Amino acid sequence: MTLTYVLMQNLKRNPLRTALTAIAFAFPMAVFVAAIAFVVAMVRLSQANAQELRLVVRHKATLTNYLPEGNRRKIEALDPDRTRLKAICGMRWFGGRVPDSKIALTNLAVDPDTFPIVYSDLAMTEDETALWHRERRAAVIGSLPASAYGWKVGDRVTLNSTVPPYLSLEFQIVCISPNPVRANFFFFRRDYLDESLVQINAPSGRVNTFWIKCTSVEAIRSLQQQIDAMFANSPDETKSEDENAFVAGFIQATGDIPALMQAMAIVVVFIVALIAGNAMMMSFRERVRELAVFKAIGFPSLRVFFIVITESLMLALFGAMLGVVPASVLLLIFPGQELAKLFGVPIINQLRLSWPAVVGALAIAAFVGLVAGFWPAWQALRLKTVDAIRHVA
Amino acid sequence: MSLPLSYHLRCLFVRKTSTILTILVVAAVVAVLAWMTAFAQAVKSSLAVAGDERKIIVLRQGATAESNSVIPVDEFNKLRQLTHLATDASTGEALLSPELMVQVALPRLRDAGRTTANVAVRGVTEKAFQVHPKIKLLGSSFSKGQPEVIAGLAAAKQFAGLNVGDTLHMGYGGDRGYRVAGHFSAQGGPMESEIWAYLPSLMSSYARTMYSSAYLRLREGGDAAATIEQIRGPAIQLSAATEAQYWKEQSGTFQLYLLLAYIFLAAMCVAAIFAIANTMFSFVAGRTREIAMLRTIGFGRGKILAGFMTESVLLSLMGGVIGSGLCAAWLALVGNKKDMFGANTFTTLAFEIKLNPLIIIQSLLAVTLVGVVGALWPATRAARLQVVSALREP
Repeated sequence: MTLTYVLMQNLKRNPLRTALTAIAFAFPMAVFVAAIAFVVAMVRLSQANAQELRLVVRHKATLTNYLPEGNRRKIEALDPDRTRLKAICGMRWFGGRVPDSKIALTNLAVDPDTFPIVYSDLAMTEDETALWHRERRAAVIGSLPASAYGWKVGDRVTLNSTVPPYLSLEFQIVCISPNPVRANFFFFRRDYLDESLVQINAPSGRVNTFWIKCTSVEAIRSLQQQIDAMFANSPDETKSEDENAFVAGFIQATGDIPALMQAMAIVVVFIVALIAGNAMMMSFRERVRELAVFKAIGFPSLRVFFIVITESLMLALFGAMLGVVPASVLLLIFPGQELAKLFGVPIINQLRLSWPAVVGALAIAAFVGLVAGFWPAWQALRLKTVDAIRHVA
Repeated sequence: MSLPLSYHLRCLFVRKTSTILTILVVAAVVAVLAWMTAFAQAVKSSLAVAGDERKIIVLRQGATAESNSVIPVDEFNKLRQLTHLATDASTGEALLSPELMVQVALPRLRDAGRTTANVAVRGVTEKAFQVHPKIKLLGSSFSKGQPEVIAGLAAAKQFAGLNVGDTLHMGYGGDRGYRVAGHFSAQGGPMESEIWAYLPSLMSSYARTMYSSAYLRLREGGDAAATIEQIRGPAIQLSAATEAQYWKEQSGTFQLYLLLAYIFLAAMCVAAIFAIANTMFSFVAGRTREIAMLRTIGFGRGKILAGFMTESVLLSLMGGVIGSGLCAAWLALVGNKKDMFGANTFTTLAFEIKLNPLIIIQSLLAVTLVGVVGALWPATRAARLQVVSALREP
């Protein structure tokens, strides 16, 4: 008679209770795996941002105010040896949308010469970079608009701007970046934008932000202070922050969905621990006499402890698998990308299946199983055989 | 005669651990349910305040929101020819308000200024107070000579630097200091998350020569649909919508948030149902002799069924009360202020989440339903017990 046999028999003893506990476990775990997948994706995003060592400079009053493009030269002059500042790229918000589409793209006009250096994580090949420099209407896009509109490299596309002066420009796609973290972007050349603005007598030569590629974290800090100090008390007063702080402001504003996901994950763990604990307590109470018999015929107390706690672990893992597997399959078939297109909120495209999340969910389930089973197992350990054999359930 | 309530209560607490654990599960579900309902309520009532059917918002053709719309002054003047326009009783002037939308970045108070939010600033004339009758001044209004602003109450509560006497740095170069002269309330509507300034002053600070949008009031019996058609027509060529329609379209992120929350809640409710079923099954199994004895002395099947349902409902209600308490404590301690971004407007809508008795009653009703559904199967099993064999069980 092996341990596994005893455990399986125990679980089969009351199949209804095992089934109910497993299902009650499964639903929260399904939600948990989705929430954790999202949280993991957000953490990866912020790590990816931190790795890129980028500093964002914007107007202090509000992001929508413009900075003169000439300030780029002033900022470059702060570090003539290029020990801290590798490259600086000015960006202007175009806010372009495909006519009659709901999806909000992150659509920016960027300085063509330094863009490939500052945004090196887009992984543009040498040919694509050459094409970007050569073609006046070049555009670099992410995977979300490419899949939503079926665009390929070489396509000519038109976007209508949603900010004054409401230009409608045509672009040629030179690169579709595979980077999953930059899925919603649409970059094009700012010199093309400025030419078009000049043609309609609108003011040109302005940017919303400067993105600076730095050489190290200390470089980011020192440049941040120097730039803000240089432009303080001028009409173009700036606020510089690193990329994660910049993005955090936007994330907070979209209803703070990451915080919702984190809260969901915590509540789930709490509920699931209670359910497992309840089931184990009920099961233990019924079997006090049986465990006492085990002890009486010679099983050491520690072994009885292991029997009870392993049973709890198995129940927890069984329920978790029941929840995690369907949820993973669902996420695989319907990733958050679809939701993002439906609601036009790009952040939700980070909701997709990730193996660390699945493993993490199972680990948490195992942990909950151990914790929930600990108290009954401990009581089993300390059972006084003589009294317990007389116990009437 | 049915089983007394005190019997059920005492039965529940014979198995203290099981009962308490199940109550806690229900409490957690109710806490989340109450929070979600209060949140949805807060946003809906905020948007409902903006649902004035006699107020029309006019934007440039193709603009998705006020913040990216531009209306030149001569096109604005064409709006005076609208036939259903209301007029001021004393002066005879049309109730037509030109407005300019700009933004200012202010730190959020709820995370001690770690993140900043884009707060909408609306440049208005005196007409605006007549066109938007729900706006009530709480204190002085902005002066027309000095650079002053008035801040909405919701904005003042959630963002830093909007107390009376503070100075806001606005303008094209961010160097024009505007003093906060007072606050205003808007019955919790979206405009309460804004800052209002005098239109000509704002236009000069931001070097703008055109308005962003216009609001107009329809006269008594005025037809909204006809007016909107007239505005879209060849004479004026702008786009228009009633205020209610406009704000409904801006709530995309909110819909997504609610959808995610409801999926989560549904999963939790199913888990609670199964947890309650589990507990009730073990109760029934532990009390077979007792149930058989009750049957013998004359309690019918129906009474036994009702008895177990009552126990389950008692469990759920106790969990519900604790859960509502938890939710109220959470709101009081962690804060009940939230703001959401409109992807189109690029500005935030601030609101407070409040727990009122109606929400608590709704949550308790929902959780009672969960208790009833969960106990259905175990209670039926108890009712169908074979009396004679059960009496002999150890």
